[in-house]
Amino acid sequence: MLKESLLYASVGELAKQIESKQLSPVELTESYLERSEKLGSRLNAYARLTPTVALEQAKIAEKEIRRGHYRGPLHGIPYAAKDLLAVKGIPTTWGAKTYADQVFDYNAAVIEHLKNVGAVMLGKAAMIELAGGMGYTFASASLQGETKNPWNTTCWTCGSSSGSGAIVAAGLAAFAIGTETWGSIVCPSAFCGVSGLRPTYGRVSRRGAMALSYSMDKIGPMARSAEDCARIFAAIAGHDPLDRSTLPVDRAAFTYSPAADLKSRPLRIGWLTNAWKEVDPSVKKALDAAHKALAQHFPSVREASLPEGPWEDAANVILSTEVSSAFSGLIRSGRVNELTDPRGQIAGYVNLTISGADYNTALRLREILQGKMTELFDSYDVLAAASLPLPATPLNLDLDKGLSFPDPLGGIGNLCGLPALSVPCGFTEKKLPVGLQFVAKAGDDMAVLQAGKIFQQHTDWHRKHPTLN
Amino acid sequence: MKKRIGAVLSRREFARRAALLSATSVVSPAAMLDLPSAGGGDYQVDAGGPKLSPEGQAEASARYQQVLSLYGERLNDEQKTRVKKMCAELQPALDHIRSYELENGNAPALYLKPLYEREKRQQSTSANGKP
Repeated sequence: MLKESLLYASVGELAKQIESKQLSPVELTESYLERSEKLGSRLNAYARLTPTVALEQAKIAEKEIRRGHYRGPLHGIPYAAKDLLAVKGIPTTWGAKTYADQVFDYNAAVIEHLKNVGAVMLGKAAMIELAGGMGYTFASASLQGETKNPWNTTCWTCGSSSGSGAIVAAGLAAFAIGTETWGSIVCPSAFCGVSGLRPTYGRVSRRGAMALSYSMDKIGPMARSAEDCARIFAAIAGHDPLDRSTLPVDRAAFTYSPAADLKSRPLRIGWLTNAWKEVDPSVKKALDAAHKALAQHFPSVREASLPEGPWEDAANVILSTEVSSAFSGLIRSGRVNELTDPRGQIAGYVNLTISGADYNTALRLREILQGKMTELFDSYDVLAAASLPLPATPLNLDLDKGLSFPDPLGGIGNLCGLPALSVPCGFTEKKLPVGLQFVAKAGDDMAVLQAGKIFQQHTDWHRKHPTLN
Repeated sequence: MKKRIGAVLSRREFARRAALLSATSVVSPAAMLDLPSAGGGDYQVDAGGPKLSPEGQAEASARYQQVLSLYGERLNDEQKTRVKKMCAELQPALDHIRSYELENGNAPALYLKPLYEREKRQQSTSANGKP
C-alpha cells in the first residue's frame, strides 16, 4: 500500500505525479480500496465499495496515460459518489431501506462527466436517508447507520453528505461528491475539516440524482482544498439539455486553470455579524483567528449583515413542500414508515398539508430576497462567517435539541441558490475541526473559490489529518 | 397488503373525509389539539412548543385533523403526538411568511434562469439607450 501521506495528497499533487507517470493510477486505486475496506466500515462511510468498477477504470486510465493520452487533472484520480447519484447496474439506495435494491440502467450526469475525464469511482458514499428531506432526529437516520467522524469516532460527521465528509477526511479517496439542499455540503465539510463547494444552483446537472427539492438541490465537490474543489467543479459544471434547471451554456460552464490563478482580483470581504445568534466558545477562538487572517490577506474586510426577514421560513416552506411532492407516493402509500428515523416516518404527512398559496408566497419572497442579496453584493464580493457555530456533535445526540438553531445564512444562501465554500480554519481544544464559510452572489463561484484559495495559501488547516489506526 | 391512500376514493369515503375535515370548523381548536386555552390571549402548545394566536391554533388543529383523517389509521399514539406537535411548530413559519408585505406585482422566483434572463434584458435595454 502507498504511504499515508500520498493518500492525503491533493488532487493537484496526485495529478502531477500521475501525468509524469511517477504514480500508477492502479496502485493508487488499490491503496485507497485497501484503506477504504479497512477503515470505511469502521466509520460507516460507504454505502458500498465498487472495486471491480474502480480497478477497471484505473486500468483504462493507466493504459491511456502510458500511451500519452492524458485527459487532465482528474485522470486516474479515485473518488467516491454520494449514494443518491445513479450508477448504471449498481444499487443506488438513497440511504433508505425502501430503496435498498434500487438499480438504475444509466449513470447520473455527474458520474458520466467524471468518467469522461478519467476519474476512478471507488464506491458510493453513505448518506442520511433521502438526504434528510423527510426530517431526522438522529445521526443514525441512514441505511448504513451513523457515520463516525474520523477526527473523533464518538462524534458525527453531520449530514446529509455524511459518508462524503468522512471519506475525504479519513483519506479513503482523493475527493468525494456531495449534494446540498440546505447545509448538506457545508455542515459535513465543517465537521470533518475538509473543503466543500456548494455551487450556484443550476451549474451542475442533477440528471440521475435523487430529487429532494427541485428548486434548491445542488451537487458539489468535497476535497482537500479550495483549489481541488475548483478542479473538480470544472469537470462537473455545465449546461445539460436534459436537465432544464441547469443554467444556459455561458452561465453554467466553469473553467479552471492554475496558471490563471483563479483569475485573481481584489476581493471585498463582508464579515457577517448576524449569521449565527450564538457561536460556541470552542469555535470562537478559531473563528477570531480566521477573521484576523482575512484582514491580513484581503484588501477589504468590513462588517456586513444579512437582510432581516422571513427568509428561513420561506426556504423551509419551499423545501418541505417540494420534498412532499417528490416523495408523495412514498408518503401516501405509507411506505414512509420504513424510514429509520421517527421524524422521517411522519413529517411527510404534515408537509403534505402546506397549501399551494403558502408555497407560492414563499416563492415570491425568494424573488424579493434575491433582489436584496444582489444589493448586498454591490458592496461585497464575498460574505464570510463560521460554517457552523459549533463543532461536531456526539453520535447519539437528539438533533432536535442539540443541532437545531436559526441558520439565516444557510436559509438565504440555499433559497437564492448562492455558491458557498467551507474551508477548515482551526480546531477546538478537543481537536475537532472548525469551518469558515464563504458565500458569493449567484454565478460567482469563482469568488468563493478564490477566497478559499487565498485563505489556504496563508494557513495550513486544510493540510491537517486525523490519526486513524 | 397495505391500504393505498391516494388512490381513487369512493364517493362514500370522500364524504366521510369531507365530514371529518369540515368538523374542524365547529370543534374548538383547543379541544382538538388538547391544548390549554389561554382565555382569548395566545395559546401555548406545550412547555417547549410555539405560542400561537387563536387563528394559528385553529389552523394547526385543522392541519392535524387533516392528517388524522387521511392517515390516522397508520399512526400510533406516539406518532400522533409528534404529528400534533409538528403541526403546531409549522404554524409560526407560515404566519411569518404571510406577514411579509407583498405587492400584487411581486411574482414568484422559480429557477435562477429567469433572474439571469432579466439581467440580460436590462443590459441590452441600457445598451440600446431605450428605457
